[in-house]
Amino acid sequence: MRFWDLFSLIIENLNRRKGRVALTAIGVVIGTAAVVLLVSLAIGLQKSATSNLWGINDLSRIEVYPNYGEAMMVEAKIGGGGGGGGGGTVSNQKLLTTSALADIALIPGVQKVIPRDYLMGSAVMKAGTLEAWTNIMGIAGSDLDDMGYLSGQGTLELRKGTAIVGSWVVNNFYDPKIRPGQEPPVPPELMDQRVKLVLSKWTNDGQEVKKTITLQIVGVLQEMRNEADGSVFVTMEDLTTWNEWFNNGKRINRNKDGYNNVIVRAESPEVVVDITNQINELGFMAYSPQSTVEGINSFFTILQIIFGGIGAIALLVAAIGIANTMTMAILERTREIGLMKAIGATNKDVLTIFLGEAAGIGLLGGLGGVLFGWGGSKILNVFAMQYLASQAQQGMLGSGLSAVTPTWLLLFAIIFATMVGFLSGLYPALRAATLEPVMALKYE
Amino acid sequence: MSEAAFIQIQDLRKTFVMGKQKVHALAGIDLNILRGSFTVIMGPSGSGKSTLLYLLGGLDRATSGAIHVDDLALEKMDENDLGIFRRKKVGFIFQSFNLISSMTAFQNVTFPMRFAGIKGAERQKRAAILLSQVGLANRAHHRPTELSGGQQQRVAIARALVNNPPLILADEPTGNLDTTSGYSIMKLLSALNKEGRTIVVVTHDLRMRQFASEMIYLLDGLVVSEAEYEAAASFELQEKEVEEAI
Ligand SMILES: Nc1ncnc2c1ncn2[C@@H]1O[C@H](COP(=O)(O)OP(=O)(O)OP(=O)(O)O)[C@@H](O)[C@H]1O
Ligand SMILES: [Mg+2]
Repeated sequence: MRFWDLFSLIIENLNRRKGRVALTAIGVVIGTAAVVLLVSLAIGLQKSATSNLWGINDLSRIEVYPNYGEAMMVEAKIGGGGGGGGGGTVSNQKLLTTSALADIALIPGVQKVIPRDYLMGSAVMKAGTLEAWTNIMGIAGSDLDDMGYLSGQGTLELRKGTAIVGSWVVNNFYDPKIRPGQEPPVPPELMDQRVKLVLSKWTNDGQEVKKTITLQIVGVLQEMRNEADGSVFVTMEDLTTWNEWFNNGKRINRNKDGYNNVIVRAESPEVVVDITNQINELGFMAYSPQSTVEGINSFFTILQIIFGGIGAIALLVAAIGIANTMTMAILERTREIGLMKAIGATNKDVLTIFLGEAAGIGLLGGLGGVLFGWGGSKILNVFAMQYLASQAQQGMLGSGLSAVTPTWLLLFAIIFATMVGFLSGLYPALRAATLEPVMALKYE
Repeated sequence: MSEAAFIQIQDLRKTFVMGKQKVHALAGIDLNILRGSFTVIMGPSGSGKSTLLYLLGGLDRATSGAIHVDDLALEKMDENDLGIFRRKKVGFIFQSFNLISSMTAFQNVTFPMRFAGIKGAERQKRAAILLSQVGLANRAHHRPTELSGGQQQRVAIARALVNNPPLILADEPTGNLDTTSGYSIMKLLSALNKEGRTIVVVTHDLRMRQFASEMIYLLDGLVVSEAEYEAAASFELQEKEVEEAI
């Protein structure tokens, strides 16, 4: 039998029993739509999770923290600002000292090691009449380009007395004299402005002491979708000076005390996990968005499988429907099968026709299911957008939760549905093919 | 072998086993049917006529014995070969027509050609010619339910001819028809025979004899002479009369 004859015959046969074919296909439509919708949702969740939790744009970055050791943690809690204290008594303490940084720099694949420190007290930034609580960071090397940050305005180079702000910082400013019900202030222009930074600490006898510093804002970063967005960057030298002020003038010795935190940049994202492990082996606490992303990915792969599995159960039910319809068709068409054989159809012809019909029902259902699943995920996205928009108005950062339907999923769903049809038609078609022609012709 | 008969049957047996019961539908048949003959098979109900016809057409398999059609040994063929044999060599005509009710007369006639891989244009041509040959050119696009029994059987005959088989097998082709349409079907078969096709017909209709070149009588799965057959038939008739009298 030639392909086209076979094809047109299968179409005619399906067309002959439109009603039943449609009813059977609806089962497949539901199953396929469920698979498409649920897997789209899982993929969408994964995308939004990975891109919101971490600056996914910077996969070659590793954050390293010192390991204070358990004993040190306890001591630090009791002793407050006591500092080095017992020193040698803590065996597993690993600080990010200058020599430790040199060790890390020697790990193959490491491109840069950039120390980073936080302000050890509270600071309020004042621009005109507006104020903002800020997260101040000092970056050694003074070049934010090293961190992989991108400039929105101005420069990425820090100098003494200058600061570069993250993209979101401007939105943190508020008017301290605002009364309830008043409109919030328009965010100030920060670029090229002089702002005041007011540090405050409490003396032992309970008095607040303030120190005001003037900073020139020389740059605003692009939105990096990570912690940089809400930070103000200054040189390490400035930050050290302020921290020593907080620390009552006690000198900070980087060879002994180390840094709060170090950013390691790898030559490429592929070596990140390797480097992270090696730094951990050195005794530090290192982790990378990359390893988090991988963890999240494997979680969502499992989620996709579970969601896909739920849809697959629906498809299994549909498969039983197809098998049933085909078995019924064979009973009804027994004489026809006998006749087909009498007029020269081989067993293989009969087998192919019935398999083709079953696969055709699967294909039709798959096409319908893909349409509904895809449409469903679009509708879902509209609702999700509305929900997120309402959340954003309440001041929460909208994370782009949405169902994502890749082309491969649609193709896969159609092929899968067709396969389901094919497989459920296998047994009925085999029965049809092996019917004895005489028996079939005598069948009433 | 050109002298040899078109169909050669040797010691053909067909036994149906139903549980412990065995039915010897054919109990050892030896028979030759010549090329271009018009063979009529007669026999009482259950004598094995249909069984013999199906075996000849490769629709069923013998329990033992040999059938050669056009020098092809049917018992040596696998299912696929048998399908191709039926397609190329045999045209079947059934008592109950066996048309596909969802197809028009025209589509029913073209149906076998789809399995034979004949191209569309050729299919249309052949179907049109055959339908006009059986006198149904103007009913080509009617469905079986819109045709009379005689007309349906004509469609079935056209369908049987469409792959141009040398052998036509008909199982009581007039069984479901009234006298007049039955007779016209007989004449149609006779015309096909004159074209050179070998025809084997199973029938109860005695009028078929006048078209026959050969008569074969079956009794209890065996070929018998006309005299034996007549004797048995009259015996049966007497029995029947006796039964009725009682
Ligand atoms: N599939 C079968 N299973 C069991 N027995 C069968 C089967 N087919 C036929 N028979 C038996 O074989 C015998 C011959 O049957 P067959 O159909 O050939 O008779 P027939 O001569 O065509 O009769 P009729 O004139 O009534 O059509 C009968 O006794 C029948 O009961
Ligand atoms: Mg019969």
